[in-house]
Amino acid sequence: MNNIIQLTDVSKEFKVLNRREGLKGSIQDLFSRDYKTVHAVNHISMNIHPGEIVGYLGPNGAGKSTTIKMMTGVLEPTSGEILVHGRTPYKNRTQNAQEIGVVFGQRSQLWWSLPLIESFKILKDIYQISDVDYQDMLALYESLVDVQDLYHKPVRQMSLGQRTLSDILAAFLHNPPVVFLDEPTIGLDVSMKSKIRELIKALNQQKKTTVILTTHDMGDVDALCKRIVIIDKGTMLYDNDIEHLRSFFGAYRTLKVKLSKHITDYSEEAKNRAIQTMEELITPQFPNAHFQISAEEDWVNILINESEVELMKVLSFIQTKNKIYDMQLDEISTESVIKKIYEGDGGHEPA
Amino acid sequence: MNLRKYFTLIKAGILDFLQFRLGTFVIIVGNMIYLIVIYNLWKAIYASVDTPTVNGMTFEETMIYLVLASSMFSFMECFLVWEMGRSIQDGNITLALLKPMGYAKYQYFSLAGNLVASFFLTFIPTFIVIEIITNGAIRPGINLLFFLFSVILGTTINFAVDFFVGTICIYTESIWGINIMKEVIVMFLSGATVPLAFFPKTLRSIVDFLPFQAIYHTPLTILTDSTLTIPAMLSMLGMQCIWVVVTLLIGNLFWHFSIRAITVNGG
Repeated sequence: MNNIIQLTDVSKEFKVLNRREGLKGSIQDLFSRDYKTVHAVNHISMNIHPGEIVGYLGPNGAGKSTTIKMMTGVLEPTSGEILVHGRTPYKNRTQNAQEIGVVFGQRSQLWWSLPLIESFKILKDIYQISDVDYQDMLALYESLVDVQDLYHKPVRQMSLGQRTLSDILAAFLHNPPVVFLDEPTIGLDVSMKSKIRELIKALNQQKKTTVILTTHDMGDVDALCKRIVIIDKGTMLYDNDIEHLRSFFGAYRTLKVKLSKHITDYSEEAKNRAIQTMEELITPQFPNAHFQISAEEDWVNILINESEVELMKVLSFIQTKNKIYDMQLDEISTESVIKKIYEGDGGHEPA
Repeated sequence: MNLRKYFTLIKAGILDFLQFRLGTFVIIVGNMIYLIVIYNLWKAIYASVDTPTVNGMTFEETMIYLVLASSMFSFMECFLVWEMGRSIQDGNITLALLKPMGYAKYQYFSLAGNLVASFFLTFIPTFIVIEIITNGAIRPGINLLFFLFSVILGTTINFAVDFFVGTICIYTESIWGINIMKEVIVMFLSGATVPLAFFPKTLRSIVDFLPFQAIYHTPLTILTDSTLTIPAMLSMLGMQCIWVVVTLLIGNLFWHFSIRAITVNGG
């Protein structure tokens, strides 16, 4: 089997009652048949190979969780076909559940009042994990994180980080081929985040588990995902390697130069003057390139599309004409690219 | 079929119950207060008539019945409607749906552990206290065994009713009113608040065709009515079995029909 997860033209619609305002409206709502259809997910197709970590991104309300719920079998798609490990999830939900692991960052599947090890034992029996596999898995966990300290701690007394960690371990316990992680690092501190990223990465590598990860933290994406899928308003915007993401908008980099030592004049006019000077300086030299120039305090920023002109050429040209007191190079971060995609600056117009 | 996963859930339920020892204590105290109220109420009822028996039951018999009924009620109360309603509202039902076993089974066996624990910690003590106070009014014998079976069947029917009502929460997405309504109906029609012997004839014949009397009334009658023969007890158990099948079937059908319509909130 080449694809472990296969989504073909999947859509999901919800019917939502149009609510009216105020007390009178609420009473009218009791008898209302006035539904509107919300298209949570629109014609999404994707194929995921075994062993991949795929970042599934999108702004709040984009339809990420809906897709995850369809892939786990909790929701039935309105149209289209989903295959997870060769099964249609919603038709065989209980069988499908045996072969997936799920973590919802804001919920816990652990037994709230029981020590962690009891939850593990319960899961062992529910998923019918053999003694050998169970012991192997615990040994692996112990080699990756300090989980022994948590074994005898009731889940309700854990910190959010410890709980999330435990939930992730619980999801991998029956060694499922696919694990869905829905915002696993939500609300965690920096060190816990990196701990959890390392754990996910290690489990993915050791167990060859396919991981579908939704997150709002680009740190997660940079640390874990080779491939990302972006959706917004239920429509797929991007599905490719993370390296290609940056060139999605052209190969943009920002050159920042400081041309005078002490600027005393911070007025708008001075800024505009600086922008204009720079524009007059470089535009005639590179007629084929489109620059976008802005100014902030001491700096003049030039956004350069490197597929048009090399940044170093621009820099050395400026240097021949002007003394440069200081300079900086800004790569466009994954975060700002994704921000642009979310904000709908599609196409090849730099922001 | 691997039974291990069911036993493990029962065990988890017992462990879970034991984590909250104080809760058990509160339940027993609450029960006592309730019993004082009904003791005085029924004393007044018996004082107002001249005969020692009302509807064929003496004061003592009525009291034994009601004491046992209330302690049965408190150990059987499984808050499944709350549990389901809340998990539907906050979306946690997703996690239960993602367990590799049917939702109803998962809930049933998770609750079973709680029931077993509270049976031993609340019902058995109450029963022993009654036996001591009344000098052994309930003759222990084969009826205890029948009673045990009957309780298991009764709790299953109770579960099925709760499961059905909990499923309604998928549509209403509210819990409070539905649960109160269910509790009043079940408690009254099952004979947990007023012994069925006191019901007017027409109501009694309606109640006989409903599953609720099989929850509390049947096990309690088996336990307290010393005149029952073994064939009579067997036929009562048979009726219960039929109700178990019917209620579980209806509950499951309704659930499977409804789960297709589910819209899991949040997340």
